[in-house]
Amino acid sequence: MAMHTINLTVNGSRESLVVPSNMTLMRMLRETLALTGTKNGCSAGECGACTVLFNGEPVNSCMVLAVECDEAEIVTVEGLAHDQQLDPLQDAIIQAGGVQCGFCTPGILISARALLNRNPNPSEEEIKEALVGNLCRCTGYVRIIKSIQEAARMAAAAS
Amino acid sequence: MVTIPHPTLPEFDYIRPKTLAEASYFLAEHGPEARAFSGGTDVFVRMRDGALPPKFLVDVKNLDGMRDLRFDPLSGLIIGAAVSMNAVISAPEVQAHYPLLAEACRSVASYQLRTRATIAGNICNASPAGDSIGACLALDASLCIHGTAGARRETLAGFFLGPGKTRLQPGDIVTAVCLPPPPPGCAGVYLKLGRNRLSDLSIVGLAALGSPNSDCPSGYRFRIVLASVAPVPLVAGRAEAYLAEHPATPDAFRQAAQLAYEECAPIDDVRSSARYRKLMVRNLTESALSQVWQALHP
Amino acid sequence: MPHKSTKEKLSPVGESMPRIDAREKVTGAAQYADDIQFGNRLLHARIVRSPHPHARIIHVDASKALALPGVKAVVTGKDFPGYIGLYLKDRHIFCRDRVRYVGDPVAGVAAVTDEIAERAARLIEVEYELLEPVLDPEYGASHGAPLLHPDLEQYTVASFIMPKPRTNISNHFKIRKGDVTSAWKECKAVIERRYHIPHIQHVPIEPHVAIARVEQTGEITLWDSSQSPFAQRDLIAETLGISQSEMRVIAPLVGGGFGSKAGVSMESLAVAIATKVKGYAVKLLLTREEEFYTAFVRQGLVAYFKLGCDADGHLLAMENTFYWDGGAYTEYGVNITRAAGYSCTGPYEVPNIHTDSYCVYTNHPVGGPMRGFGMPELHAGLEQCIDELAEQIGMDAVEFRRRNCLKGGSSLPTGGKMHPTGLTECLEKTAEAIGWGHKSPPSAPNKRRGKGLALMWKAPAMPGNAGSSAWIELAEDGKLTLGVGCQDIGQGAFTVAAQMAAAAFGIPYESVRLATPVDTRYSPYEWQTVASRITWSTGNAIIQAAHDARDQVLDLISQAWGENREDLDIVNGTVISYKSEREMPVKDFAVKGLPKPDGKGWIGGPIIGRGNFMPTDVTGLDPETGQGDHAVVHFTTGAQAFDLEVDLDTGRVEILKAVASFDVGKAINPDLTRAQMEGGLIQGISSALFERLQLKDGRVANPSFVDYRIATAADLPRSMQSIIVEVPQDDGPWGARGIGEHSMVPTIPAIANAIYDAIGIRFDGPPFTAEKIYLAMLEAGIVHGPA
Repeated sequence: MAMHTINLTVNGSRESLVVPSNMTLMRMLRETLALTGTKNGCSAGECGACTVLFNGEPVNSCMVLAVECDEAEIVTVEGLAHDQQLDPLQDAIIQAGGVQCGFCTPGILISARALLNRNPNPSEEEIKEALVGNLCRCTGYVRIIKSIQEAARMAAAAS
Repeated sequence: MVTIPHPTLPEFDYIRPKTLAEASYFLAEHGPEARAFSGGTDVFVRMRDGALPPKFLVDVKNLDGMRDLRFDPLSGLIIGAAVSMNAVISAPEVQAHYPLLAEACRSVASYQLRTRATIAGNICNASPAGDSIGACLALDASLCIHGTAGARRETLAGFFLGPGKTRLQPGDIVTAVCLPPPPPGCAGVYLKLGRNRLSDLSIVGLAALGSPNSDCPSGYRFRIVLASVAPVPLVAGRAEAYLAEHPATPDAFRQAAQLAYEECAPIDDVRSSARYRKLMVRNLTESALSQVWQALHP
Repeated sequence: MPHKSTKEKLSPVGESMPRIDAREKVTGAAQYADDIQFGNRLLHARIVRSPHPHARIIHVDASKALALPGVKAVVTGKDFPGYIGLYLKDRHIFCRDRVRYVGDPVAGVAAVTDEIAERAARLIEVEYELLEPVLDPEYGASHGAPLLHPDLEQYTVASFIMPKPRTNISNHFKIRKGDVTSAWKECKAVIERRYHIPHIQHVPIEPHVAIARVEQTGEITLWDSSQSPFAQRDLIAETLGISQSEMRVIAPLVGGGFGSKAGVSMESLAVAIATKVKGYAVKLLLTREEEFYTAFVRQGLVAYFKLGCDADGHLLAMENTFYWDGGAYTEYGVNITRAAGYSCTGPYEVPNIHTDSYCVYTNHPVGGPMRGFGMPELHAGLEQCIDELAEQIGMDAVEFRRRNCLKGGSSLPTGGKMHPTGLTECLEKTAEAIGWGHKSPPSAPNKRRGKGLALMWKAPAMPGNAGSSAWIELAEDGKLTLGVGCQDIGQGAFTVAAQMAAAAFGIPYESVRLATPVDTRYSPYEWQTVASRITWSTGNAIIQAAHDARDQVLDLISQAWGENREDLDIVNGTVISYKSEREMPVKDFAVKGLPKPDGKGWIGGPIIGRGNFMPTDVTGLDPETGQGDHAVVHFTTGAQAFDLEVDLDTGRVEILKAVASFDVGKAINPDLTRAQMEGGLIQGISSALFERLQLKDGRVANPSFVDYRIATAADLPRSMQSIIVEVPQDDGPWGARGIGEHSMVPTIPAIANAIYDAIGIRFDGPPFTAEKIYLAMLEAGIVHGPA
């Protein structure tokens, strides 16, 4: 199987990697870079636990080949906080009690970050629509939705 | 038999051709061993399931024109084959002139999947459940195809031969989906019934489009295309013909819905019984037609 | 942060403290089992599984797999003769002579990559001789059904499980109380119903994963996603014939459990393979598809109910028969059968009872514990029967429940008396919040609207001697490290444990750390994180450990200051004397002690408190009558109600409002308590509307998220209300009892009752899919067929 050299940015850090054709972005993050915040829940693009930002847009990283990431910019859950300063979404989901087992949380935070980036003031229905690709079995979603509304409110108040 | 999916993608070689000609040549040369992909959302899943074991995956999304999205009032809309569904949904040209297409795309899976999923991919995979296909058929789409003999254009009507089967020949690459200018004064709706409210595959999907049309005795032309109720996306031709003949009234819509009910041929599967699908074709058709009618006469 | 006044005694118990593990979980730092990096000594395992529901293994040929470069080992059942199981040892690690369900493990492969392991697994050839399968529990329980476990009578079994030799019945639990035959004659109304509750899957978002390494010395380490590290140590060691101390289980955070990661299941496969490749770590990660058909499923149930009441609506008798579809192995499921047996009346006082609860072997996926442990399945039918009986005698369903539901002192089905309970309060608050008795109009002409309510009860189902323990250690900075063996599976156990330790010792919540991950080598023993027992059971052990440490501190200070212990207290991490008003922060002596008052030498030393808890008063039940003094430790009770609409065009249900009330005794953390109520409610809604493992000839036809739909963010009720009721549990920490499972117990019948209120139709079981409802409405003439 052919190997490919790729150059990319992950959470602001430049990486040069050699990856096999069939390696997914998810496996590259988890295995090659040991960024295990991105979770493997189904490997089939259904559960959303592996969601990351690819050039600013959320993708299921199990449905992207590592080799496709040449010159791409990837942000994972590990890249949301800066200098120990949490992303407002991270603060809000803690405050709202939107974390239980935590396995879906990284993917949810990435989907929510992408949503607020494209729509800083989403309606409840828009939030639900943005989250249908992120399955959560613990929380019943209620507090997650509240936390996104709260983060949006905080951002609006701060600007 | 039990499907036993692989834990991860089986081995293959990733190929990134530089030109369309190179891509077509490679695909033609390797036949069933090679497969073109753009977003991969369907191809990867089928490879993992073991349903598709290509030796080569040919990445066509960076080739010339594949990411273009252009609208011209005279010639219509060209959507490059690698334009993501999210890009289609948010394109001002699509929202202004083809809201039906945006609505249909928006019903597909999840936002993060639509970052990668494309309309052309939906069409090439030829799933009877493809939600964007119905809207394309209702809007009289055609396909730009690049093959070993160069570029050509084919209408979407007649493109599908069966589940997963199309008229594409070895070496063919769909480069764009082309929509003519929408019928003047048209209004459309995409109704989708899944098991849960959003993100599911269609039990029934229905694209309906209506427009004033002096060629039709009724004064209106309606297009009705159904997903998940036949081996291929199904144009409800008898229902359409009925509405071309008969003035649009609640009774006519009910009658057209009955015809759609009769002409669809769904199967029983894990998602739904054929019987329920047929009944839902009837109910959704009637509901879609009255919604379209209301939109035509606000 | 300025120090709080030491005079102001603050207790974190009863406060909604933020989760102790939230920050690591939102930053991606939290480590789950699959996140542990093992470097180049990691092998990947794959399992060869039976494609048949029932067959004899004739021959296994692994030669092609072994010839594949990169393959390090292939194992089969020949290598592991021992039996394994929690309550009934009826399973081998790998099948030896026959396979009993589609997915039964026949062989295992370890290879240097995932891809090679997968290819090797596909190269292993297994020859089978097909046997007639049992695909229905009632048939399975009948004479003449093929015997799936001819050796049943030789299996090791817990004392309270009653297998019937030479049948497929692996447990038969009975209640014989009063005289039902005479009671029927006294009844004004009697109804008889049959319900079928389908198999469902837990669907934690984290699939099962286990990594095992066996050292050259034979010592075993297992890292896994586990609710039961200690039970796994015990059972796997016993099966492999090693001592428990040679087996170490390290269990990091669990990405959702719901019961599926309790007991032992796929973990033993990873360990077994690892014994053949000593020195390597062997990882087995289930694919999502395997998760659906090889992890524990919630057992199917066929339930017959007969119940009657007098003209005043007093329940006089019940006759219930349950056939549990236990699947291929019922090592854990046998106790679900028992739990449903002793809870058979639901939360009602019934003087005459005749109940048979059968656990039946079938060639279906292996049944096991799932959130509610038999109670959602049992209540699904029973709570509809209650509504129907009330309707038959023309009584309001809430009034009917008010008359019959258990109060403190009510007689229980197994004999003995109910402890104080807030069930009536739950009923009334729920009814009020849903607007019971007020008919609301539907939102559109093509909708029908209805309300429904259901009650529930559930006890922790566990052996009478299931133990917990805890330790507490103080560090130089005065902070407290709490060792527990329970797991945080998302429910918030670690947070609540820290709150209880802080309150019992006298230190701020923020000063408590948990000694995690749970590691059977260092962590104190815990039976299992199941049964909603942790807050209660581990909580009692934590209090004892905190008090032990506290006693050491107060002894030391009373000696050092020459004061009476009774005048001393620990408040917010500082020892104070109410008499002399002296104060000293714990950090000043926590590790290094204090000088003696005369300055000659030292007193004190590192402080470690220890505590344990085990219920002591649970008694056995008579095998013929099911009667005894104290069948279980306690019951959590509660109610849910729904206001919903049915769409006449599609049959789809939309939930407008959901209300839940539970008597938790004391909410140690009210926000986490409500979070359990909400999460369980949504899981319950999902099981009521969407979920069913579609079993066809023993095969799961929908083993993926594509076709096994669970509720998404778009499927929520428009509004939800959670009400906490607190009638203290006398032996609970601060009066607390569990709430983890209960929140999905009454959901199915409450929704069913609301659907009935809307359209006048009842179904023989969930899920109440749009299709099922629409076709029933068609049948009933509510909607019309084709012209």
